Amino acid sequence: MQFLRVNMSTESVQWENVAEEYAILGGRALTSIMINNEVPATAAPLGEENKLIFAPGYFTGTSLINTGRLSVGAKSPLTGGIKESNVGGTVAYSLARLGIKAVIIEGKAAAGKYFCLNIEAENRATLISADALKGMRTYALTKKLQEQYGDRKSITCIGPAGDLQLLSASIQSTDLDGRPCRAAGRGGLGAVMGAKGLKALIVDRQGKTPIEIADQDRFQKASSAYAKAVRADEFSGQILPEFGTAVLVEPINAAGAFPTKNARSGQFAGIDKISGETMARVIRERGGKTQHKGCSQCIIDCSNEFVTEKGDYVTSSLEYETIWAMGGMIGNDNLDAIARLDFLCDDIGLDTMNTGVALAVAFDAGYASFGDADAAIRLVEEAAAGTEMGRIIGNGPGAVGKHFHHDRIPTVKGQGMAAYDPRAIQGMAVTYATTPMGADHTAGWVVDKNLEAFGGTVNALEAAGQVEISRNTQIHMAAVDTAGICDFAQSGLATAEGIENVFTMMSAKSGQAFGQNDWTELGQRVIKAELAFNKMAGLTREDDRLPPMFYNEPLPPHNVVVKVSAAEMDSTFNFLRNDS
Amino acid sequence: MKIRLKLYGTLPAHYPGLYPDSGLIVDISENTTVADLVERVKLPQEHVAIVAINGMLAKAEDVLPEGAEIKFFQPLNGG
Repeated sequence: MQFLRVNMSTESVQWENVAEEYAILGGRALTSIMINNEVPATAAPLGEENKLIFAPGYFTGTSLINTGRLSVGAKSPLTGGIKESNVGGTVAYSLARLGIKAVIIEGKAAAGKYFCLNIEAENRATLISADALKGMRTYALTKKLQEQYGDRKSITCIGPAGDLQLLSASIQSTDLDGRPCRAAGRGGLGAVMGAKGLKALIVDRQGKTPIEIADQDRFQKASSAYAKAVRADEFSGQILPEFGTAVLVEPINAAGAFPTKNARSGQFAGIDKISGETMARVIRERGGKTQHKGCSQCIIDCSNEFVTEKGDYVTSSLEYETIWAMGGMIGNDNLDAIARLDFLCDDIGLDTMNTGVALAVAFDAGYASFGDADAAIRLVEEAAAGTEMGRIIGNGPGAVGKHFHHDRIPTVKGQGMAAYDPRAIQGMAVTYATTPMGADHTAGWVVDKNLEAFGGTVNALEAAGQVEISRNTQIHMAAVDTAGICDFAQSGLATAEGIENVFTMMSAKSGQAFGQNDWTELGQRVIKAELAFNKMAGLTREDDRLPPMFYNEPLPPHNVVVKVSAAEMDSTFNFLRNDS
Repeated sequence: MKIRLKLYGTLPAHYPGLYPDSGLIVDISENTTVADLVERVKLPQEHVAIVAINGMLAKAEDVLPEGAEIKFFQPLNGG
């Protein structure tokens, strides 16, 4: 496989052999370790020195199911630290089958210049002038590019928010139907892409480059066993196809952990109007799709297609985090408005989560009433238009808080929280505070251990045991995001036999012995590089804290605050820091 | 005494037609616990991971109060 380096300053492309140190890496390990090696930590995130790296997972392109993840990495303009955000769709698989291990975007296009990068078979990559496409929304853009270049293209692009370099700008990528509805949403990486002067990657989906596997038979056997386990599991085999991630709405609310009205409560009165069960019923009644395949190599089909009463397409896929961010968090119980906001964010190229939290802070500060979906839609439209208020919303919750002098800003390292209140699920307090990524749920999702088995194997409302489970999950997830395995296909590795299949595949592909220790070391190596970068970028332990509201305001209905101490937070990754 | 039991996710599919959206009224004796109820309705234990009593997370040994609304949820995976 090869690296494709693109210099936007000199408008040149270069193919490079993969250096030995990167050979067994992929996904998040590749983006994070390479950024730590190549980007000065003090670089301006939207400047020439920053690099934007797109890397398929280590298993992407192989026969293993649910490995169509693309890691996107850079120094984040939102957090000021390192960032990896990953996305499904078709792009990762397509890049891998073109023999590309990573695309590295360097430099910055000259003022006024804008480009698309067209990547085709046989090492052909061309920067194409795209000045006229600047400002275009993603649905119109992808349609135009597919008309021009054919529909067998995967398109990964930014919308007006990325063009405006807003700090909540996402990078959108097309699904199997060619819609730009899959998002590398977090960390404002769309702004980095806009700053580089890159509107879109156009990637040929018909690559046939074989993925090198040292022991094909052994790999195949383990990959089949893995797929069987994912199919057999109730969550990935039955629940996700029926409800998608929206199935989480009711139980998280029942746990009092559904952040409502800018996290003033852990339960939302309108929950049954926006639950996964309601969403699935509405979609079925209207003739939409509750089960939909969004990504290459997927056998779970957790995606859906939400439609209007008349059956017209609104958005794909309506997910738990967005239902929360554009629903409970802003006090909105109108599912149609949530779907509309989801579409708008995809079309404009905004992270639904950071944008929803930004709206929640604005509403909390009195800009509009909680539940005012029309105001939410108007403000998101303003972000696309680049009005003053629109830019404030599009720059995220921190910018909104500063503008209104409002001190209830639920962010860590500048990034808006996710859909689990850290007071009601204290393990998520540890993950939000300590992941190098800023408040992020996928970095270390410990909700199951806090709630399942009739009330959790740890007490969700107490600090005891939370650091350990968050640490272990974060290290595990750093390895999962390196392998490129979809979060929802983790049922395949949830058992001892399952994770053994993954080790077998790591070994069969690389030709090296691989076991639990190697897996843990891989995850630790990734986080260590990220922590090192963040330290050099100026982030300190004080940045590994939650905002005061979570320590000072008891959250109804449990009326608890975060109890994990600063010393406990620091103990999570002290052993991976250079200075410990 | 009676309680109202609602099943979520794909749990109702295990009992086609039995659980209306408004829930199933179940007669129970005093001091019935969450664990007793799971056994009583004969749901495989591994299918029920989270239980709420009147909107609050419950533990296996919690006793069901009269007239309570009980919700059963399945195991979850990441967000």
